[in-house]
Amino acid sequence: MRVAVEEKVLSENDKLAAVLRTRFRAHRVFCVNLISSPGSGKTALLERTLEALPQTAKVAVLTGDLQTENDARRLARAGFPVKQITTGDTCHLDADMVGKALAGWELGNIETLFIENVGNLVCPTSYDLGEHAKIVLLSVTEGEDKPLKYPAIFAASELCIINKIDLLPYVPFALDQAIANVLKVHPGMKVVQTSCTKREGLDGWLAWLAERRARALAA
Amino acid sequence: MHELAIAQAILERAQAASEQSGGGRVTKIGLRIGEISGVVPDALTFGIEALCKGTPLEGLALEIEQPRRKLRCSACATEFVPEGFASACPVCGSLSSDCIAGSELDVTFIELEDPPCA
Repeated sequence: MRVAVEEKVLSENDKLAAVLRTRFRAHRVFCVNLISSPGSGKTALLERTLEALPQTAKVAVLTGDLQTENDARRLARAGFPVKQITTGDTCHLDADMVGKALAGWELGNIETLFIENVGNLVCPTSYDLGEHAKIVLLSVTEGEDKPLKYPAIFAASELCIINKIDLLPYVPFALDQAIANVLKVHPGMKVVQTSCTKREGLDGWLAWLAERRARALAA
Repeated sequence: MHELAIAQAILERAQAASEQSGGGRVTKIGLRIGEISGVVPDALTFGIEALCKGTPLEGLALEIEQPRRKLRCSACATEFVPEGFASACPVCGSLSSDCIAGSELDVTFIELEDPPCA
């Protein structure tokens, strides 16, 4: 006997993500989900971002890894609330993990929530976390064809940050080609170039963040 | 490698659908896995087989359809299957489009063993 089902496999995650989205809207929390390969500089970008903010800023960070509290320790130095999500052997964060990690935090005290996903360009693409925008990072020590090899995450993200640009003189990375590849996968995508170690290009990122936050809260 | 978690979710969904239809062993699951869903059908099949081994679901068949990515031009509403990831509209050349197919990850149907005759 055949029974029609026609349901999304991840509908449980989508339901939980919808709950998160409703909570974010109710408390006026702007949430971004940072995704990249391991080692592209998500944690470094967040370190520089938190340093740039006044101590009165109401920001918080959830950071995901398979193991260790290392990233949470790095990020906590800036003095803002940080929580590590250790996923064990799971290669992505899901909406349930985010919901549980938020327990104990008063959302009314958070204006911007950064979620640093597990380093992975594939699996996090499938899991909605209730965020306003996904942001994908690519570093110049990776290949400029990354957007063509992993198109789904570049198509799903609103902003692409090309990081480690201070290393451009030392690595065979064709920056123009990388940007062309990003735009091939996602026409019109905003691209920002940064060096988190040399503190370059952060203004473009912070400006995007402020503008996007204003747009999210106006909606 | 999130296919195992997705395999688990598929089996749970199939089980729930079976219970809604009065129970019975699930013998086949229909899946729709779009080409940009982020899921590799081979890895998923392997995960489902591994999870079913030694359970009443062992031997479960899968029927997988894999829709290609399809876009609808925002300017002239032409629907087209893009070549690779170059997404310009073949009719008007616009680069602005919406993805209307290719990201699916759906359970489409289940087949249940016929109940024993009363």
